Amino acid sequence: MPFEYLPMMAANAAPKPPRVLVAPSQRAWCPMRKSLDAARVALLTSAALRLSSQEPFIPREDVSYRLVPSDPGAGEIIIDHHSGIGTVPKQDPEIVFPRTALAALVNKGVVGKLAPFHVSVMGGVRRQKEIETELAPAIARELAKAEVDLALLVPY
Amino acid sequence: MLVGTALDIIRQVLPPRAVFVDHPVGRTFGPPHDRERNEAVLARVLAELPNFTQPGEIRDPGFEWAPNGSREWESELRAEMLHDR
Repeated sequence: MPFEYLPMMAANAAPKPPRVLVAPSQRAWCPMRKSLDAARVALLTSAALRLSSQEPFIPREDVSYRLVPSDPGAGEIIIDHHSGIGTVPKQDPEIVFPRTALAALVNKGVVGKLAPFHVSVMGGVRRQKEIETELAPAIARELAKAEVDLALLVPY
Repeated sequence: MLVGTALDIIRQVLPPRAVFVDHPVGRTFGPPHDRERNEAVLARVLAELPNFTQPGEIRDPGFEWAPNGSREWESELRAEMLHDR
């Protein structure tokens, strides 16, 4: 039986009420038009990570995003997310943001192309309406402009 | 496509496609500094892509954190999460 996170989150939130999880108002579905070996792929992370040269995220309720170069050699990754679980991924962000692994799969021909950038946001934000009506559409426009076929969302 | 370690949360947030990775949260693609395992996990996740046929499907390729299938990591994670309250 898989580990249950919701009871742990509720215990951690106490005495405040547990976080309310919100599902999208409309269920999304976009068919894949290309096979993986022809597709351009981007990572989408909620770890609030960025290059050390990019503007830091503001803790807790930041609804901005960063475009992080997909080249694994592009620079040091910093994780701004406030979660205490981050002590391990902060040792090696690749375990939640597999930039090097994705580039390797492109080199092996398993994946068609790298997107020019990956996208990073702050997870755990409660501003659901702004996320759905402003942040998500802005990211979708960035990905469409870059002709990304598949975005791989890795929650933090 | 979502790649997540928290199955109970994935079930509530209705992603269009999701792959469940039965690893501790924050270690989706393996332990730190293990590039071989990062790549193996990612490749196995991506291999699920053609298998999705309808919105809301969650696929479980059968990932195991420990090579012997041990779930001792759960008590360690529980302690870690409580410690970080």
